[in-house]
Amino acid sequence: MILTDREIQIALQNEAIVIDPAPDLSFYSSTSLDLTLDRRLTLFKDPKAGISLCIDPSQKGYNHEEVMAEITTPVDIDDVHGFDFPPHHMILAWTREFVELKFQSRIAARVEGKSSLARLGIGIHLTAPTIHAGFAGQIRLEMVNHNKVPVKLRTGMKICQLIFEQTLGTPVRGYEGRFSGQTTAKKG
Amino acid sequence: MKVRVKQIGPATHPSEVVVSVDTTSGAEHLVVNQRSLKDDRLEIGYPINSRDSDLLVELPRETINGSWRVWVPQALVE
Repeated sequence: MILTDREIQIALQNEAIVIDPAPDLSFYSSTSLDLTLDRRLTLFKDPKAGISLCIDPSQKGYNHEEVMAEITTPVDIDDVHGFDFPPHHMILAWTREFVELKFQSRIAARVEGKSSLARLGIGIHLTAPTIHAGFAGQIRLEMVNHNKVPVKLRTGMKICQLIFEQTLGTPVRGYEGRFSGQTTAKKG
Repeated sequence: MKVRVKQIGPATHPSEVVVSVDTTSGAEHLVVNQRSLKDDRLEIGYPINSRDSDLLVELPRETINGSWRVWVPQALVE
């Protein structure tokens, strides 16, 4: 079941969900909550001519952050001019808000795009929208500009929305002293 | 409950850090928010299962190798 605006606010009051800074009331819709764009972006460098590059994430010893440091460069969005997101490029971005879903809370979430940006060709995630119970952090966005022209990004703009869902039951790790295989049905 | 981890270094975003968990099949790295780390310990909820002196735990983020649940020595879990 998807949480409505009212249920999201109750979950925030109960601290089943933590969002910092707290969202303005105008950031809610009936069944979602908008999040905003953080200043920091990570840009992928263009490969140099004549150099063949291939990432092998399943290789033993693969270190994602080291690889990313080699092939990307961090950029902070300019306060005045914003950032012109080039066409047909991918960047990593983050929500400005810190989000935490307590693992006992029976709440998970999905990060989704906003139609206002989708219409401009901006995708905000690549097939990994689930925010699992227990997550804590600023949400990393894998953004792609599918448009033929740049689209300006600005710090604090509404960039994505969270859809909160109530899980059917509590995950095993939310149960004290109950291991997998010892289900509630068996334990009574 | 918490699992002990080691800080490996900074992650892509200033709010994040790369940590290492010593699992029974070797070190697994994951990116976590710095606010999730307290004294090099990471909240993991309750263990999922046990086997001899090892515990199956679910990490708060997917590891760089794509795992959520890992077996760790019980001594790492508090």
